[in-house]
This record gives sequence, C-alpha cells and structure tokens, in this order.
Amino acid sequence: MTAVARAWSRLTLPGKVVFTLIPLLAVLTSGLIAAIVLFGGPVVEVLNANLGVVRFVAAATIILVITIPIAFLNIYLEMKVIALMNLRIGPDRVGPWGTALSVVHGLKVLMKEDFTPSGADPVVFTWAPVVTYAAAVLTIVVLPFAPGLYGQDFNIGLLYFFAMGGLGVVGLLMGGWASFNKYSLLGGLRSAAQIISYEIPLTLSVVGLLILAGTMSLNTIVEQQDGWFANWYVFRQPLAFVIFFIAATAEANRTPFDLTEADSEIVAGFATEYSGMRFGFFFFAEYVNVFILSALTVVLFLGGWNAPFEIDPLLDWIGGVLPGLGITTPVTVALDPGGLGLPLLFLILLVPPLGTLLFAAPFYLLRSSMRWWVALIIGFLLFNVVAGGLVMAWAYVSFEWVAGLLWFLGKTFVFVFVFVWMRGTLPRVRIDQLMGFAWKWLLPAALLNLFVTAFAVVLVRS
Amino acid sequence: MSLIPGLGIARGMALTLRRFFEPKATIRYPEQKADVPPKFRGRLQLLYDEYGTLKCETCFQCAQACPIECIDMGGLDTKGRFHVHGGPPETYGERREESALRRSGRPVPDPAYTHFEGLDVRALDEILEDHDHDPARMLQILEATQAAYGYLPVAALKRISQVTGAWYAMIYGTASYYRHLRFEPPADEAQAAEVSSRRPAEAAYLARLGASLGGRAGGDA
Repeated sequence: MTAVARAWSRLTLPGKVVFTLIPLLAVLTSGLIAAIVLFGGPVVEVLNANLGVVRFVAAATIILVITIPIAFLNIYLEMKVIALMNLRIGPDRVGPWGTALSVVHGLKVLMKEDFTPSGADPVVFTWAPVVTYAAAVLTIVVLPFAPGLYGQDFNIGLLYFFAMGGLGVVGLLMGGWASFNKYSLLGGLRSAAQIISYEIPLTLSVVGLLILAGTMSLNTIVEQQDGWFANWYVFRQPLAFVIFFIAATAEANRTPFDLTEADSEIVAGFATEYSGMRFGFFFFAEYVNVFILSALTVVLFLGGWNAPFEIDPLLDWIGGVLPGLGITTPVTVALDPGGLGLPLLFLILLVPPLGTLLFAAPFYLLRSSMRWWVALIIGFLLFNVVAGGLVMAWAYVSFEWVAGLLWFLGKTFVFVFVFVWMRGTLPRVRIDQLMGFAWKWLLPAALLNLFVTAFAVVLVRS
Repeated sequence: MSLIPGLGIARGMALTLRRFFEPKATIRYPEQKADVPPKFRGRLQLLYDEYGTLKCETCFQCAQACPIECIDMGGLDTKGRFHVHGGPPETYGERREESALRRSGRPVPDPAYTHFEGLDVRALDEILEDHDHDPARMLQILEATQAAYGYLPVAALKRISQVTGAWYAMIYGTASYYRHLRFEPPADEAQAAEVSSRRPAEAAYLARLGASLGGRAGGDA
C-alpha cells in the first residue's frame, strides 16, 4: 500500500470528493485558457455572448476569494487592537508585527481533526457552517466597492442584502439542532431569537432612508450621496444610523451582543460540538459579517465610495495657483503612460536601480559604520515606499475606481475598528436585557424615525 | 449614575482608546528580561537535599513573611512527628495522601493517624482568660498551656490561634523556637522536670539584674 493510497483511504467522503474535484477543475481551467489562446476568436465570442454568466462567475469567484484576506485582516485587527487596549503587545512573532498570525491560525484550524459526534445528523451538521458562510458571502454581491466595481447592481439590492443576511441564522439553527447536544440546541435557539429580534429594528431603521432615497439599489444610494460630506445620509438620518449600528452589532454577534458565542457562559453555544475547519467556517463567517455590516453602514450612511470632499475643485485650484506662483510644470496629473512610447521602456528599466542608488547614497555616505549592502537594502525599501506612494497617488487621481475603493475600504475599516473597539470595552449583556433593548427601545425608536421621516417628506413635497 | 444615557459607555470607550496609545506592559521574554528585585526567588518549590529528605524545616518563616498570606503549610514536619497544618484539611489532601508521600520519599504517617486529638479546652480557656486573650503575651500563654496539659497539643495551638487572633504560623513559630516547649507528652520524669528549670539564660539574667523581664510584675507561678 503506497503512501498515496493510505492517505486516500484516510480521507472522509467529502474529502475524497474535494480531492477529485480539484485536479478536475485545474484541468478544465487550463483547458479553457489553452482554448482561448489557440482558437481565440470563437471562444471569446461565446463568452461575449454570455457576458452576464461570465460576469456572474467572475464576481462569485472573486467574492469567495476576497473573503479570505478580509477575514484574516479582521482577525488580526481583533487580536492586535484588543491587545493594545489591554496594554499588551499582541501578536508580534509571525510576520512583520505578527501580521501572518491569522494565516497561521487558519492553517492550524485546517489541520485539526474534524470531528462529528455520534448521534449527530451528519448531513445537516456538515452543511450548517456552509450555509452560515454562504449567507455572509452572498451579501457581498450587491456591495458597491467603487464606481464600476460591484458584483451586481440590483434594484432591490438592500432587500436582497437583508434576505441573504437573514439566512445566516438558518445555519446557526442547523448547527445547534444537528449537534445532538441539548446545550448546542439551546445556544442555537437563543442566537436565532437574538438575530431575528434585531433584524426588525435593523430593517426598519433603513426604511426612513429608503423613503428619502426612493430606491433600494445600493449603487444609486451611494451616487445620491455624491459631493461634500454634508450630503451623506448620516446627517439626514442620525437616529437611523445609531439604531442601524447597534442592530448591526447584534446581527454580527459582536460584543456586547455576542450571546450566540458567549464563550464564558455557554461554551460557544451552537458551536460547542464543532471542531476543525467546520468550526473555523462559523468564525470565518462572523468576521466576514463584521466587514459586510461595516461596509453596509458606510454605503447607506457614510457615502460609500465618495470622498468626503470634492477633489476636482482642489486640483483645479492647484492648477490655477501654481502658474501664478511662477511654477510651470509640464507634469499633468492625469498622465497616460502609453503616450510616452519608447522612453517608457527606459523609464521602467532605469528608474528602479537609479532610485535605489539615490536613496541608498545618503545612508552609505553619512554613516561610516553602514555596510554597502545594508545601505542598498534600505535604499531599495525606501524607493519601493516612495514609488508605491507615487503610483498610488497617480492611480488615485487617474482612476475613479481606485480612489473610490480606497475611500470605501478606509471608511469600512474605521467601522471594523469600532466593532473591535467595542469588543475591547463593553461587557456582554444579559439575554433579557438584550431582548428588552431590542423590543422596548430599538423598535419604537426605529418606528419613530420612520414616521417622522415620512411626515417630513410629505410636508416638504406638499 | 449619570442622567445622560450612554455616557458610561462613552467613558469606557474613551478609556480603552487612551489605553490603545499608552506604552505597553509586555516584556518580550527571550529578548528582554524582567527587572526583578535582588531577592526575587521565582516560583515557590520545596527542595530535597542529597539524602532525599526535604530541606524544608517547617519553620513557618516563609508563611509569616508572606505579605498576602498565600503561603500556607501543611503535612508533617521533617522528622515525621508532628502534624502541622494551618489551613482546611481538604487543601492538603493531596500532600497527605500516602502514595504521594511514598513517591516523593517523605515520611509516611501511621495510617490510623488523625489530625490531632480532641482536647478539653476548659483549662485552656481559663489560661487565655487570665492572659486577657492578648497575642502579645504568647510565650506566657504557651508556657501556662504546657503546664496545664504537660505539652502543647495541636488542638490547643489552634484554639489559641482562634481565640487570640494570632496566626497559627506565628504561634507555631514561637512554640518551636523555645527549647522548653514541646509538642508531645514528656517521655520521662527528667524531661517533665525540665519545665521547672526553664530558661537558664533568663534565670541568669534575672539573678544578675535582680529584676524581671517582660514586665511580669511579681513573676508567674
């Protein structure tokens, strides 16, 4: 029995399926690429004819893939930020400033034994984390990251978002039910009660905004908040913003509403019987959820991809002032690299070594103890930083989607930080406080916001 | 506390945000070493000498010096004679367990052993009443107790500790410091008589000075 056969016999049934599919997929993909290269025309025509399908497949793949770095980044942020708030250093061993620790965590979870308790319903037990994760991932499809950079622009985008986000609770219930453990079942029911309760104020708080916006398409909502930051909906719907953020915290199972997990009380609730990557998927979904809800907050209330100020007047002003000061630069910010022709090639070949030498020279000349190769490394790194910054600046000015993506991600990670910050500060609420707060405070406040908005709109329009 | 809802949350969030930017307490161990006091001895551990006997002499000094009373002592003393224990018995169940004692090479007590025998404390209570339950007069209390019972039973020491409020460790320390105080019944008449000719050094001092020490006006019987 060879080692390969032994390894194969140890795999579970899903493992055998996956390990059969991976080479199949590799063959299919390389075959597709070869087909495009060899008989380009017809294949491209077929793809062009079914652009919607191609676009959907590409979007689904990209969305599935980007959840991984997003979740890793969130996990790292969580570890590091909470550590810093506890006067600890946090992860600092794996990678620069411990940045690779979440990757190592992921590998660790992958290598752990995936255990199914006897008496559990194996099918439901296996699919529960998939459902939770898929619910989180499916919502990304409608998120507008930047102008032209989104999976799909539905005219019912927000409705779709809430519908898909609400599916996550099905996964939690499935996990709790299939675990064959009464405490898991209780944990699942409890988290279902929590999430369903908070879904109502979450959805209702947005209705006022929808009355103002007149559309459910997230892209259109973002476009309506164009211009200066005073146009953002947070200034027209402040109460809705507060309700939405609180309900989103509960929806993402984050402290102070993380009764779903409640590690100190009910040992992870529905996830008690989970181990290995199935357990990992629940938490993967949680961290992706944090990102998604932050992103939705930004899209709805904080202008999405829009910068808080208008950059074009600023550029025009600079363009108008510089010649007045006697500075005449031939450099135009909207540079077209293709227009340079052959000199571009020399630029690419010559600038990096020259820049490295240029940045290395002061270190080597001014510090006698420095070895030449250390100076070269420092010069290379500095050149990379400067060149990267310049390229980013150029891309920011030249491409609308780069600027939009930067603003969108920046705002989103501010909210991710706030989520982590709250986790580092607030204690967990009791279950009756949680329910009482949702039904006695958030729901009436959301209704009040809705009615006041509706009245205001009627008064203004009549 | 406050009339503004959410103010407490805001203050908590502000606190954690300030902590976020404050210097950190972590010491990255292999690269940095903690700056410890010169008498720092690290983890508490009982050591054995080259003969395999416990180096601890049950002197209780560590228990007395411990500022937060986290050190407590139990078990047998080095010669396997006296059961000294200053805490609840369940705390020491593991240490008293016979197999654990055999494994660690410590003396194994008689299986029929009980912690300490019960004691008729009426005489002791009278002695304590006479001395006003004053822990500062511990030596006199102990001497009177030995005079009444012939030796110092553990139950009596515990009773003294309980009534006077002095630590058991201190009482044991005092009792074990003086040669003439003993923890078991006297073996013979000569040893019993030792009590009367107690403290030769103090007797010499008294003869020299012609006065009494320790403010005992008129001496004690």
